[in-house]
Amino acid sequence: MRNEFCALLTGLAVLLCAPACNRGGSGETGAPRVAFVMKTLNHPFFLDMQRGAEEAAERAGLALVVQAAEREIDVEKQMQIIENLLQTGIRALIVTPSGSREIASPIVKANRANVPVIVVDTRVDAKAVADNQLDLESFIGSDNYEGGRLAGDYLAKVTAGSARVAVLEGIPGHETGDSRLRGFRDALAQHPGMTMVASQPANWERDQGFTVFQNMLQAHPDIDAVFACSDLMALGAIEAIAAARRGGRIRVVGFDALEDARKAIAEGRMEASVAQSPRDMGRIAVESAARLLRGESIPPDQKVPISLVTKGAGS
Amino acid sequence: MLCLILWAATPHFLTVSNLLNVLEQTSINATVAAGMTFVIISGGIDLSVGSVLALAGIVLALALETGVPVPAAIALSLAIGAACGGVNGLLVTFGRLPPFIATLGMMSVARGVALMLAEGRPISGFGEGFRALATERILMVPAPVLITGLLYLGAHFVLARTIFGRAAYAIGGNEEAARLSGVQVRIHKPAIYAVAGGMSAAAAVILTARLNSAQPTAGIMYELDAIAATVIGGTSLMGGEGTLLGALIGALIMGVLRNGLNLLNVSSFIQQVVIGVVIIGAVLVDVSLKRHKR
Repeated sequence: MRNEFCALLTGLAVLLCAPACNRGGSGETGAPRVAFVMKTLNHPFFLDMQRGAEEAAERAGLALVVQAAEREIDVEKQMQIIENLLQTGIRALIVTPSGSREIASPIVKANRANVPVIVVDTRVDAKAVADNQLDLESFIGSDNYEGGRLAGDYLAKVTAGSARVAVLEGIPGHETGDSRLRGFRDALAQHPGMTMVASQPANWERDQGFTVFQNMLQAHPDIDAVFACSDLMALGAIEAIAAARRGGRIRVVGFDALEDARKAIAEGRMEASVAQSPRDMGRIAVESAARLLRGESIPPDQKVPISLVTKGAGS
Repeated sequence: MLCLILWAATPHFLTVSNLLNVLEQTSINATVAAGMTFVIISGGIDLSVGSVLALAGIVLALALETGVPVPAAIALSLAIGAACGGVNGLLVTFGRLPPFIATLGMMSVARGVALMLAEGRPISGFGEGFRALATERILMVPAPVLITGLLYLGAHFVLARTIFGRAAYAIGGNEEAARLSGVQVRIHKPAIYAVAGGMSAAAAVILTARLNSAQPTAGIMYELDAIAATVIGGTSLMGGEGTLLGALIGALIMGVLRNGLNLLNVSSFIQQVVIGVVIIGAVLVDVSLKRHKR
């Protein structure tokens, strides 16, 4: 039993200094508190989104609380964070769901607490919305399907309509990745010369992009092009291509237009990347929350524009 | 004490709804930690609990999806969990594998089977009857809290009052001595691991009901949370000593910390540091106190 006591003491000491470590946003000021629960905070995409959200919150005079689980796929932690924040009397909840179905349970709790919910980036599964009679104010996100199509059409154009293509998928069952994949496949289907030789999940991660693509190259040494549903996986694939000394002969198209990807495109190691605007997403989400709190209505579906970054344009 | 500090730091902490909220969130880690306590008391370790949790959850979800009645589906899931644990126990007892290795293997096997069965995708959308396990409240207390409470009462009785429980302590204290003094190590040891697997499956039932979804990727790193809760609760990794009440308190400390740090809006990066410091600090002080006693 001594042990618990010691743990309490340690916890106490840490908690006393913890508030000193947290950076802004929490204070018990008069400003209405709005929570932004992200998938993760160790990904440049979400850091950009956070920046856009914080800038907008400052302009709108909102106290923004940004939190995320340690791991992107940890749906249970995300639920706990939302439950905990609901206890603190937030006025609106903005969330990028870690799981498009699992997010339904915490949203039910937000609805019950009369906290309006705005969903960003990853859509809540339509069946989950219907089953739980979820009340969602707005969805803000890229048109991922269109992004996938854009990538497919572009690859068909640069390979003159004939190529053997491999695909690196995101976490299976993820609406974002599934939409990109569907768009890409639909685009390829219109070009009979384009064949998909392999399609495997690499779970959004760079190291998995590396190993999965390395394995694909073993199985299909004649791959001409890769579409990765995110840039981190695309960058992993580029490393694998370099390791196999095939640099420059395999065209890589990614998604997200991360800083590293833009650099790779400028250097010719990567063909293109579909650009989302996470910063705009964060901004629009917080502005929408501000409008809701003023009693205005907001559109239920807000599309954030996408574009293609290539060596010629936009990089 | 920790609660008082948190209350001073944020007015939102000490509300009935938040305290119930913490208990509900802690129920899953606490349940896994209960099984872990049996294993650690017996001088072993079980790294497979998180993966077994995922597998048991997927089996449960598949059964519910094909229309198996809720009690039967839960029984099946518990049986699968206990069976995985049993295999661990057999490998350790008769294969003479170190528990670390046997359960490390099971960690990978169970995760792989879960992914295969689920084809990599989460399975979701169950009937109201099943979800009541997470949403129902009895006298304001959420069902998961009641389930975990009952499991702890049962497990505490088994550990403190039965031959099986005493065997766990004896094996952890000195396995050879236990065997020579007539403890049926060959029967009790596999059963200890089966309890851990069964508890993981029970946690899977709660988690699946709570999220209304079973994920083949669920429970990653839960083994570390469970080990941490057990160790913070005063159970020695050397085996032979420890209590379930300690594990429960350990799990609650971790739950309260996470909740409090959320309420205080501490970034998730710092939260990991804090939890790590608490684990190390607790055991460090415990070890030095024991040394002084001698």
